Amino acid sequence: MLRRVVDWIDERAHVRDLYREQMVDYKVPKNLTFPYVFGVLALTTFAIQIISGIILIMYYKPLIAHAFDSTNFTIMREISFGWLFRHIHAAGANFFLAIVYLHMFTGIYYNAYKKPRELVWIIGWVIFFVLLMTALSGYLLPWGQLSYWGMVVTTEIPMSLKEAPFLKGLLGAIGETVSIWMKGGYKLEDLALGRFFGLHVLFLPLLLMILVGIHLFLVRAAGISNPDGYEIDKKAEPEKVVPFHPYMTLKEGAYAMWYLALFFFFVFFHMSHFLPADNFEPADPLKTPPHIAPEWYLLGFYEIFRSIPSKFWGFVAFNLSLIFLLILPFLDFSPIKSARRRPLFFIMFVVFVISAIALTILGTMAPTPTNAKLGMFFTFTTFLFFLSLPVISFLEWGWYKAKGGQS
Amino acid sequence: MEASRRDFINVAIGGMGVIGALGVLYPIVKTLAPSAASTTEAKVEVDISKVPELGVRVTSYKGKPLFVLKLPKDLTIDKYQVKKEQVNSAGKLNYDLLKGHDVFALIGVCTHLGCIPLWKPEGSESVNAPYLHCPCHGGLYTPWGDNIGGPPPRPLFVPPQKLEGSKLVVGEPGFVDKLV
Amino acid sequence: MSTWGLIKTVFFTALTVVFFFIIWVENPFTHHAEYEIPEEAEKIINDPKAALEGRELFKQNCTSCHSLRYDGIYLMSVTAKPEWSKIEKTMGKPLLEEKDGKIRVKGYFVPRDVYESVAFADLQALKASFGKIPPDLSTMYLSRGAGYLYNFISDPQKVLPGTSMPKLFFPEYDKEAPQKVAKIVAYMRSVNEPPPGEKAKRALMGVVTIAYFIGMGALLWLYRKKVVASMKH
Repeated sequence: MLRRVVDWIDERAHVRDLYREQMVDYKVPKNLTFPYVFGVLALTTFAIQIISGIILIMYYKPLIAHAFDSTNFTIMREISFGWLFRHIHAAGANFFLAIVYLHMFTGIYYNAYKKPRELVWIIGWVIFFVLLMTALSGYLLPWGQLSYWGMVVTTEIPMSLKEAPFLKGLLGAIGETVSIWMKGGYKLEDLALGRFFGLHVLFLPLLLMILVGIHLFLVRAAGISNPDGYEIDKKAEPEKVVPFHPYMTLKEGAYAMWYLALFFFFVFFHMSHFLPADNFEPADPLKTPPHIAPEWYLLGFYEIFRSIPSKFWGFVAFNLSLIFLLILPFLDFSPIKSARRRPLFFIMFVVFVISAIALTILGTMAPTPTNAKLGMFFTFTTFLFFLSLPVISFLEWGWYKAKGGQS
Repeated sequence: MEASRRDFINVAIGGMGVIGALGVLYPIVKTLAPSAASTTEAKVEVDISKVPELGVRVTSYKGKPLFVLKLPKDLTIDKYQVKKEQVNSAGKLNYDLLKGHDVFALIGVCTHLGCIPLWKPEGSESVNAPYLHCPCHGGLYTPWGDNIGGPPPRPLFVPPQKLEGSKLVVGEPGFVDKLV
Repeated sequence: MSTWGLIKTVFFTALTVVFFFIIWVENPFTHHAEYEIPEEAEKIINDPKAALEGRELFKQNCTSCHSLRYDGIYLMSVTAKPEWSKIEKTMGKPLLEEKDGKIRVKGYFVPRDVYESVAFADLQALKASFGKIPPDLSTMYLSRGAGYLYNFISDPQKVLPGTSMPKLFFPEYDKEAPQKVAKIVAYMRSVNEPPPGEKAKRALMGVVTIAYFIGMGALLWLYRKKVVASMKH
C-alpha cells in the first residue's frame, strides 16, 4: 500500500531520482573528521529553536506591562510544559552559538574558506552576524533586568563614534542617530520592545532560513572541503569518496543523537547559566544590576572593546575583528590548504584559539588594571593572527613555486 | 544470522523513532490543554432583587453566557406552540423543571450552532409572548428554553441552580440538580 | 591515527571542554557572594509544610509594603478597598490550590497594569516614605536565592547597607524570629519552585529523554556498522 502511494507520487514528482541524486550519488570525502559534524548539529539546533519558538510566541506578550509576567507566569506556570519549551529555547540559543563558533573554527582550521569556497564562508559569516542579532533581540524579550540593561548598553555602543578624533561632528551625529533609532526614542519602551519582538520572531529567522538555504546550496556546489587540503576529483578517485547516504547520514545522525543527549542534560538539570538569576527581576530603568556583562558569545568582542582605553578605538577594533573574519579568504591567499599541511598557520591558529578563549574568559571577570592589560595583550595576539595570514601566504607562495607549483 | 541481526536493528530504530516522535508531540499537544484557571468559575451568584420583571441579566458561567430571566408569575407554556418531542437530557421539557420559579438561569447558547439568542420581551406577531430568538438561523425558544421553531434540535441547557433568599446561586444543586 | 594527530585531537577537545565548563558550569575566575544559612533554617526552607505557615506570616508582616502577585497576594491597603474583590475577579486569573482533595481558588493573578492602576495612590505613598516603590516579590526567590533572602530579611542593613527595608524580626524579643524568617523564605521558595512531585516528574522525564538519545545514537551507530560491512562485500 505504502509502496503504491510512493509509486504514484514518484511517477509525477520523480522523488526517487531526487533521493538517489541527492543522497546516494552525492559523494563526500571518506576522510572527513569529527568536527565536520558541527554543520549538521547547527542545523538540528536551528530546527529546535524554530519549533520551541513557535510555541513560546503563542503565549508571549510584547508589551512592557506584560512581557515579564507572560514569560515568568503564563509560560512558566500556566501552560503545561511551557517551562520545558522555555528551557529548550534558552539553552538552544546558547548551544546554537556554541556550535556555530565550533563550526567556524573548524572552517578556519581546515581552510574551508579558500577557493572555490569563498562564498560559502562569506554567507556563513552573514549567518553568524544575523544569528548574533537574533540572540540579542531575543534576549530583550523576557524584559528582566539583564535583558533591559544589556540592550541599553548595546544601543549605547554606536555612541562611541562621538569620541572620534576626526570628523567629530559628523560621526557623532551618525552614532547618536543610530543609537536613538535603535531604541525608538530616548528610552527603551513599548516601541523598542515591539520592534525587537518583530525582528526576533519573524524577520531574522526568515532571513536565517534563506541564508542557511543558500549556504547549503553553496556547499553542494563547491563540494565539501577536505581535512588533507587536497581537492578530490570524484570521478578519477572513486576510492576516496563514499555515498552521502548511508555513510554520512547515519554517522552524523548518531552524533546528533548524542549531542541532543548532552543538550537535554542542560535543559533538564542545569539551566542556571542559561536563565541567569538576575534576569528574574523585572526591568527597572532606574537601577542597573550589579553584574552586567554581555552573554558569553559576545564577550570576546566586548573584551576587545573594553580593554582598549579609548572608547572610539575600542569601537573600531571590535568592528575590525568582525570585518577581518569576513575577509578571511582574502587575507589568507596561500595556495596551500588545511592546517595539517601548514605548520606556520597551525601555530597562528593555536594562538588565535587561545586568544579568543582568553578574551571571552577575561570578559567574565571584573575590569581590574591587570585584566585590562591581559585584555590588551590578547587583543593584540588576535589581530596578530589575522595580520600574519598575508605574511604566511606570501612565504607559502614562495615554497609552492620553488616546488614547481605542487604543494 | 547476519540478516536477522540487521532486521532487529531496523525494527528497533523504527520503533525508537516512533516513540521519539510521540515523545516530541506529547508536550507540544499538552501545551494546548485548557489552563486550570479556565475550568473554575464553577459558581456564580446573582442578586435577583435587582432584576426587573421581563428583564434579563447576562453573566458568564464556565466560560459561557448565562441568562438570568425574571418572568411574570402568570406566564405559562399555554401561550406557546412548543415542540413537545424535543426534550432536554433529563427527558423532560425545561418548563417542567422550571415552572413555579419566576427567576431562573439558562445557558444562553443556541443548541443549533452555538450563537447567543436575543431576548424579545415584547413578543412579535407570530409569537404573541416573550421569547428567545437566535439571530443566526432563526431558532425560537420559549423563555424557559423549550423549542418553538427553527433548526435547534433540543431545548437550551439549564445549569444546576438554587435560591438563597434574594440570591440565585448557579453551579450548586437546588431546584435544578445538574446540567440538563 | 598518528601520535601527532592524537595530540592535536586531545588538545583541541580538552580546550573546548574546559572552555565550555568555565563558561556554562563553573567559572573559577568570578566569585559571587555566598550567604550562609543555619542548618535549622535550611531544614525549614526545604519543608513544604512550612511554606503554608510562611504564607500567613508573609500576609501579616510583609503586605503593608510588598505584593506577591504570582500567588495572589497584594498590598494590604489595596485589598482593603471595597472594589478590590470585584476587580480581582473580573480582571484576574484564578489561582487554584488543592485542599482536602478539593480544588479551590486561593487568590487571583491580576495583570500588572491593572494592579498598578488600582494601587497607584498606595504605591506612590510608599515611594514617598521609602524613596522607591518596594518591589513585588513574585520572582525574588529566583533572582536572589534562599541564602540572600534569609540573611536580608533577618537583618537588612547588614546585607545591604542603606536599604529602606526595616528589620522586622528581632531574636532578642521573639525567640521564634529565625524560624519565622525561614518560613517566609520557604514560602517564597514554594511559589517559585515546582512542588516536589512535579520536580521528581521533571527529573524522571529528563533521565528518560537523555537515555533515549544515547540509546538511539548507539542504535544508529550499530546499524551503520552493519550497512557499511554489507556494502563492502
